[in-house]
Amino acid sequence: MVKQKKIKSNKQVSRRHRLTWNGKCILCIGLSMIGTLFFFIIPYIRVLYYSLIDNQFRRNFVGLANFMETLQNKYFLLALKNSLLLIVICVPVLILLALVISLALAYGIKLLKKTRVAFILPMILPTASVVLVWRSVFQGNESVLPIYTLFIWKNIGICIVLLSAAFSSIEREIYEAASLDGTSSLQLHRYITVPLIAPTILFTVLLSIVNSFKVFKESYLYFGGKYPPESSYTLQYYMNNNFLKLDYQALATGAILTSILVFLIVLAGLALQRRFYK
Amino acid sequence: MKRLTAGKLLTAAFILLLGLVFFYPVAASILRSFRVDDRIGIQSYMELFFDCFIFYPMFWNSVLYAGVITLLQLFVIIPCAFGFMYARFRGKNALYIFYIMLMMMPLQVTVLPNYIGLRDMGLLNTRTGIILPMIFAPFGVIVMHQYMKSIDDSIIEATRLDTSSMIRILWTAVVPQLRICIFAVALFVFAECWNMVEQPMLFLKDNRLKTLTIMISQTDTFSPAILSAAAVIFMIPVLLLYTFFNEHLEQGLTLKDLS
Repeated sequence: MVKQKKIKSNKQVSRRHRLTWNGKCILCIGLSMIGTLFFFIIPYIRVLYYSLIDNQFRRNFVGLANFMETLQNKYFLLALKNSLLLIVICVPVLILLALVISLALAYGIKLLKKTRVAFILPMILPTASVVLVWRSVFQGNESVLPIYTLFIWKNIGICIVLLSAAFSSIEREIYEAASLDGTSSLQLHRYITVPLIAPTILFTVLLSIVNSFKVFKESYLYFGGKYPPESSYTLQYYMNNNFLKLDYQALATGAILTSILVFLIVLAGLALQRRFYK
Repeated sequence: MKRLTAGKLLTAAFILLLGLVFFYPVAASILRSFRVDDRIGIQSYMELFFDCFIFYPMFWNSVLYAGVITLLQLFVIIPCAFGFMYARFRGKNALYIFYIMLMMMPLQVTVLPNYIGLRDMGLLNTRTGIILPMIFAPFGVIVMHQYMKSIDDSIIEATRLDTSSMIRILWTAVVPQLRICIFAVALFVFAECWNMVEQPMLFLKDNRLKTLTIMISQTDTFSPAILSAAAVIFMIPVLLLYTFFNEHLEQGLTLKDLS
């Protein structure tokens, strides 16, 4: 009896050893996967289901009716328009500013490096802390200007960090060779630096577009939880209002549509990036 | 040569000006908190510390959530990034792209699935409900994985000869090499959690569980003096972390090729 038990436990030990290196590596992803499964994937499938039924209690399958309704909803369209406007106007400004600043920080006068902190801090400082000052600066300005500025203020840090990291990987010799030919520094950066870090620039553009969908926090705090003026009503407000009403169908449909939009943007970005590497 | 320096000076002036503009909100927030009714003093802080008792639990909640999430997230992220680096299985690339997609999804897409998941587990209006979904955020996995491409494989190989325990390999061969990246990611994640507004707003009903962000956004409930003092106190933890880890930020957060 005892002997049998021993053999059994031996077997277990050898079995445990049979878990290969590769198996263990796969296991490492497991924990993260389980969390993602329970807090995102499974609920997301339910969200998809909610978007296809008429309501929580009757649960009749209505096909794409919710989507048709949302796509004709005045507020959804307004929110979509404002969110897209934010991308089209702010992202180019943001990237251009970040490029100029990080170039100046990397190659400009040494003393300039001290100003870096001013651009990095907004990224980590809580928006709630500075929102009082923003309000007094803009004095109840009802246009999009405060939100656009807040977006750029908040997001320039991460762009500068990513771009600066890319600059530091460029070898200095390239510049020395080029500057011997008498090219000006503007040309130097235009024709050498920027093409060299194109993949990083593309990634920052992608990240900024995606972050523009997250501008809700700034906007919510700036307007103090009140209803925003029409020009600042973005997709997130649309979602949030439906959250407060617990309108699952509108919420689900909005979430699915937004995720499809982001999915397409990221897919296009990844495809573009793959072309850069070829 | 002269034109070059003139250009350089001009850019320097421009950047300096821009820096001042960017820094203004921070400086103004601090100055504002010391001025009450056109007099300079620390009354607003006195008022906050001695008259506003809701401040303490809310500050503690902010510290607790951000600290616990950051710490636990590291335990999930590091093995996961390691797995993505060394495991070989079918569909790994697809899974990785899925993580990238998830990282890019705005909160308004993920918050509803999170809410439904928490609701079904009965975790709404609890501290766990705020912490748990945030632990599995994919941002750190992607950043860590990018950084791991540059670490030294031979140390891991050598440790594998010594031990078959994955935990020991991770702890002795991987974590020390990731130090800079861990600091950068931890700073970033902490700041993100410190700044969260939507989750406590939507997942919590009980005021005693809410964070300082929620308190500061309630402009009707608190006096401007209290709010401006709370805003400054609220900045201090992240400012401290920034001064400690600032130099690691650029080396630690590299994100470029995502395939």
